[in-house]
Amino acid sequence: MILETKTLGNILAATITQPEANLTNAEQFKHEMLTLINEGNLRIALNFAQVSYIDSSFLGAMVSSLKYALGKGGEIYLTDLKKDITELLRLIRMDKVFKVYDSINNVPAA
Amino acid sequence: MAAATKKILLVDDNLFLLGTLALAFANDGFKVLKASSAEEALALLEHEKPEIILSDYEMPGMNGFAFRKQLLENTATKNIPFIFLTAYNDNTLVMKGLDELLAVDFIDKETPVPVIIAKMDNLLATVREKQALSLEELKRAAEAINIKSVPIKKPIVTGFNVEFWHLPYHGYPGGDFIDFIRVSNRYTCAVLGDVMGKKWTAWFFTFSFLSYIRAAVRFCVSSGEYDPAVILQKTNQVVCEDEALTDVLAGLSLILIDEQTGHVAYAGAGDLPLLYYNAAGKTLTPIKTCGLLLGLFNDASYDAASITLHKDDQILVFSDGIIEYTEGDKHTSDYALFKNNVYPLLQQNTGFAPIRDYLSQTITGASQADDCSIISIIKK
Repeated sequence: MILETKTLGNILAATITQPEANLTNAEQFKHEMLTLINEGNLRIALNFAQVSYIDSSFLGAMVSSLKYALGKGGEIYLTDLKKDITELLRLIRMDKVFKVYDSINNVPAA
Repeated sequence: MAAATKKILLVDDNLFLLGTLALAFANDGFKVLKASSAEEALALLEHEKPEIILSDYEMPGMNGFAFRKQLLENTATKNIPFIFLTAYNDNTLVMKGLDELLAVDFIDKETPVPVIIAKMDNLLATVREKQALSLEELKRAAEAINIKSVPIKKPIVTGFNVEFWHLPYHGYPGGDFIDFIRVSNRYTCAVLGDVMGKKWTAWFFTFSFLSYIRAAVRFCVSSGEYDPAVILQKTNQVVCEDEALTDVLAGLSLILIDEQTGHVAYAGAGDLPLLYYNAAGKTLTPIKTCGLLLGLFNDASYDAASITLHKDDQILVFSDGIIEYTEGDKHTSDYALFKNNVYPLLQQNTGFAPIRDYLSQTITGASQADDCSIISIIKK
């Protein structure tokens, strides 16, 4: 498992436990995300506190998971991003695709 | 070419044997990962990818067979060659391991350590040879049907010097692509794309996208459309509506060069901002448009930026692999650092060569984290 999950109210907090989110764990990440969504978790906050690097394969897996969640009326939030990753997401406009928050505490309750 | 580091995972609850084997493999040039149980090995495999696994059969908790079953259920681990190291000589057990659990071999624990190492070395050499052959076959197939990820030579564009540099990740075809389309006597379209999700089959997706983009660009131009934002919009719709391309996403930069006016129109889809160097003012400025990745939303909108280039002005369009840096085992993406590094090279006003040389020297072998592609457009 590369996601550690914890339910906080109506949001599932999912922490990515890998320092590098890349080709080697992208497929596993997507599999775990789709499982969580299929289990009925429609509001997932992905915590990136432990992630220092992200490549395009992992970004692709994130976006695929988001499309899947949106199709089921769900939403995926990104939280606790390091500065470098925030900047990369901003450069390629992923900040317009995902809702980004400093921490899960800032994610709207509903 | 220097031999790549061999990485092996050893799994055994006998810590003395585990330590002995680890030392022997390390002395033979292997990078060794150790686990004293199947559970520990599974946890380790979440962030490590060995080339081969040598595992004990009888272990407390999860035994070797259950461990192997779990690996086979995971797409990330099922294809790693797996060898049982066991004290058992039960033929039924061996047949189950080889037939049902697709183990490559069984090795008796009584086998001398140098022989075990020689077996692993030979097995790895065979696996690598097979991978190299498969890669070669893919490349030959691509050449046979005359399609390529990047052009053979730089395009001729009157009044401009257009060049490119491309380094595929570990030699695998696919992922990034570059294309130049001569759309009329006046316009040339430069395309740089990155199909997300680098994997063995990305090669096929790359050419699907390239075909769509070429067709969309040519269709738009033939109907009098010269706005790259509209071209991107139409391409995105085609991609989104095609069920065969579900789950395929791509970043794309599209630059329409007007030979008559010196204007360059740029639109991007989830790409990195291009860099525009103004030679007279010696300024280097990122130019960003608002478009999202192709294949994401059917109704996504795209905008375009227009730049008028003067003598010696230069534009750099590049994929994310170009801004990735490696220090030890750690990777980072740093757009600002790349910008700072190329700025003095642009000030030399000596064309694309200094940038190509800089990239060739800094992006090599193990330091490369992704496909790397860049297009340079200089006004003469």
